[in-house]
Amino acid sequence: MNARAIRSKAAWSMAALALAVVMFAVIDILALVAGKGAAALNGSIFTTMTTGIAGGLQNAIYGTFALVGLGIVLSVPIGVLAGVYGALFAPDPVAKFFRFVAEVMAGVPSIVIGYFGYTMLVVAWGFGFSLLAGGISLAILMLPYIVRATESTIRQLPHGYMEGARALGITPADAFRTILWKPALPGVLTGVLLAISIGLGETAPLLYTAGWSNFDPNWQLTKNPIGYLTYVVWTYLNEPYSAAHRLAYAAALLLTALVLLLHVAAKGLQRSTPAQ
Amino acid sequence: MTRRRFGSKLFAVTTGIAAGGPLVVMLVLMGVLVRDAWPAWRFQGLSFFSGTVWNMGNMYANTPIVRAGVQGAPGASFGILPLVVGTLYSSLIALAVGVPIALLTAAALVYLAPKRVSMWLSPVIDLLAGIPSVVYGLWGVEVLAPFVQSRLGPWLSHVLRIAPFFHGPVGTGMGLLTSGLVLAVMIIPIVTATTRELLAQVPRLPYEGAQALGLTSYESVRYVAFPWVSSGVIGAVILGWGRALGETMAVLMVSGNAANYLPTNIYSPISTMASTVAALLDSALTDFTGLAVHALALIAVTLLAITMATNLLARSLVALGRRGLEAEGERR
Amino acid sequence: MKSGHSKKAMLAVSSALSLASLTVAGLGGAPAAFAQSSAHARASAVRHTSGPAVRLQETGSTLLFPLFQLWVPAYKKVASNVFITPNGTGSGTGIQQAEDGVVQIGASDAYMSTGLLSQHPSMLNIPLAISAQQIMYNLPGLKASTHLHLTGSVIAQMFMGKIRYWNAPQIQNLNRGIKLPHAVIVPVHRTDSSGDTFLFSQFMTDTNAQWAQSVAYGTSVPWPAVAGAQGGNGNQGVVQTAQRTPYSIAYVGISWLDKALSHGLGEAALANRTGRFLLPTVATISAAAGQMIAKTPRDERISLIYAPGANSYPIINYEYAIVNENQSSAVVAQAIKNLLLWAINSKGGNSASFMTKVHFLPLPTSIAPLSRAQIERIHG
Repeated sequence: MNARAIRSKAAWSMAALALAVVMFAVIDILALVAGKGAAALNGSIFTTMTTGIAGGLQNAIYGTFALVGLGIVLSVPIGVLAGVYGALFAPDPVAKFFRFVAEVMAGVPSIVIGYFGYTMLVVAWGFGFSLLAGGISLAILMLPYIVRATESTIRQLPHGYMEGARALGITPADAFRTILWKPALPGVLTGVLLAISIGLGETAPLLYTAGWSNFDPNWQLTKNPIGYLTYVVWTYLNEPYSAAHRLAYAAALLLTALVLLLHVAAKGLQRSTPAQ
Repeated sequence: MTRRRFGSKLFAVTTGIAAGGPLVVMLVLMGVLVRDAWPAWRFQGLSFFSGTVWNMGNMYANTPIVRAGVQGAPGASFGILPLVVGTLYSSLIALAVGVPIALLTAAALVYLAPKRVSMWLSPVIDLLAGIPSVVYGLWGVEVLAPFVQSRLGPWLSHVLRIAPFFHGPVGTGMGLLTSGLVLAVMIIPIVTATTRELLAQVPRLPYEGAQALGLTSYESVRYVAFPWVSSGVIGAVILGWGRALGETMAVLMVSGNAANYLPTNIYSPISTMASTVAALLDSALTDFTGLAVHALALIAVTLLAITMATNLLARSLVALGRRGLEAEGERR
Repeated sequence: MKSGHSKKAMLAVSSALSLASLTVAGLGGAPAAFAQSSAHARASAVRHTSGPAVRLQETGSTLLFPLFQLWVPAYKKVASNVFITPNGTGSGTGIQQAEDGVVQIGASDAYMSTGLLSQHPSMLNIPLAISAQQIMYNLPGLKASTHLHLTGSVIAQMFMGKIRYWNAPQIQNLNRGIKLPHAVIVPVHRTDSSGDTFLFSQFMTDTNAQWAQSVAYGTSVPWPAVAGAQGGNGNQGVVQTAQRTPYSIAYVGISWLDKALSHGLGEAALANRTGRFLLPTVATISAAAGQMIAKTPRDERISLIYAPGANSYPIINYEYAIVNENQSSAVVAQAIKNLLLWAINSKGGNSASFMTKVHFLPLPTSIAPLSRAQIERIHG
């Protein structure tokens, strides 16, 4: 074997090693969360509320759903419409500019949203720690992902659709309403699922907008703090009590399992996207 | 017909208005941040970036001091150099460790692993991108920090004992190295996914042609396939860098929360800009002059500017790369 | 109404748009699980009050947090309609969020500064109990029964990086007969805005002139640059960090003493004004309180640090509830008043069964009326 062949072999060994390292990290994280989380998980976690540093997670689970739900309700309509505009109606430079805005927005560190949320939503506009302040903060974080997913999905649709529509004298709007939306739907939904998984995992902005409550959400939009799962991971891990640690692991497991579920669902959707 | 046309028009206009949504949000966000940061900039000036001490001043004093027309608590002075250094160093460690691993992993998935295997492994690695950052923090605290403290740190310190920044007391594992490694794991899926998808799109012909010309498989990947996708990969790397710069919770959990000093070695506790905003917002709000909050807003503005700059950089590099490839194509 | 709260959720969300400021959870506030426990409480309650469901948020001091953890379930038996979420976030957060009106009760080991109070004149600083702070260290090999002798000035030098090693002569001279290691001292401080930092830095300020000059005191202070020094979030974070870090030194609120000792940390005996080295005990804390409380002004903002007297432990303080006297509604105001009056009642929250668990002292009988008078000012 000459030196070049040896170098090739060595490089591929490195690549295999890198792959192994990454897989090891994935498995180690999942095993830690699954192992310690499963030990802490029991039925009462879902049926009781947090009491101080122990108890269950019902309030955090409901709160997470409420916050992410509100974030989705606020961000999806705007995001999808904005994506449609970028793909179908916007002149090229405008579309490019909006894409840049969405990318910058996706890159805004979440704590910056937290700062904005606390000083503006919570204090200046008087929402207090609340579902509304938390939901809006999450919506801001989710919005760019939905815009991008929608726009790129529609752009990647086969050209035949649009050209056919144009040949028939159908406006882009009608083309979208009658034909295009259908093949675009799985792609858009994938974007929504991604946005949900981002919302699920956020901590920093919620600390300053949603606050925390030991009780189930009472469906007041303002002035009522609300619990969420990431808070439990962040705060209870810091407590020197084993009960608190168990709860933190249970919350981490729930979050990770939800994200996993969303990923599987997104993969399923992608498979159902028509071939291009 | 006219009603339909009107409906079409209305739909187009509605989408246009919605498209302004993100722009409006960004403008309001930046407007608020700059407005809040402005007094701190006037008070502190450029020394904001070169100073090493974050001093909110004596908050139990009765009368504020005034500088440049801005009130502050007596003794107030805001320097964020340790935060800038902590942010930069930890993100650079993340790149130095994460990017080679990500590129090699992507190459292994595309060229080395059997298709059926990589079909299963790729989504698993993609999953890493979705794991909440507090879960990374938890892993960092429970697994990585003890590992750095008891194994990696002592080993590195010994092996690299002539390298000044690597040698020294390893500490508790809470610090720069652990932060960088956690961030590396967080950016690996971003870079891997993009590189993998791009490599899969490289036409087989030039790649196989290269091997027909006698290049080894490694050389064909290194000199044919990778240049083909480099601009996209660089974009993904910079995107990952942006993520590492702005990461808050995971770093907050493993950084050791150093105050007012620069890291003396790679195991030193640090603080980053994002984690400091999260950690100090509460205390800043107790400053009766309000200046400390303005100073945090200035950190937030700086962070925002950096992430915007990395984004622009990524775009222009991608564009440059594309132009380069096209030019090369023309020359051929 | 209680059972149907999820069905009414959508309706409630839409109607809440118009009901902007509702802390009183009229619409289906109490979940089923709590309806049961309140029925149980009704049977066993001594002095049960009921009324519309009220949600109260308490946040702040991590030193007071363990006590609130004990109080909340106990108070549930007294007022089953009050749903309290306690939170340990640091005293600064307690002060600030109570000011901003996002929580009803801020907990703090530090009283509000005059500057803050002049901006928020309707805020009350209400002492609920007396607490203390101890200095703790992680010295592997040192017996738990051995308490290092430390003076405020020496501790200040350790936190300023002037004393770098545990076997430095300044420390060794105070501890003849103890073999101290030649190991680098790792100071651990609080990262959040903390009343413990306030107490600690006041003690440092009182005992070390250079500290008074360069660092001074407050709930957040400019920590001197000491390579390797670490921060912890809350008393809980400090205990964990110190426990993980050999040769560290930290200041910890007394309600965390048992936890910290069980994690293997040592407790220092501190020099008081007369030079005697004392541990915080009921005797030494009440001796210090006895020296200081007579000076308590009507607004009760006073430092009890570094009291004179041979038996006085140097770091003690009032634990404050920081409350805005103007609350959003009469119902909320009454709920807060009832809770706080119960808390300072020697048969309620100030009873020995609570106090001894966190090593606090009840509010002295001469001070309780002052607190009661402040509580009475809370209105809707």
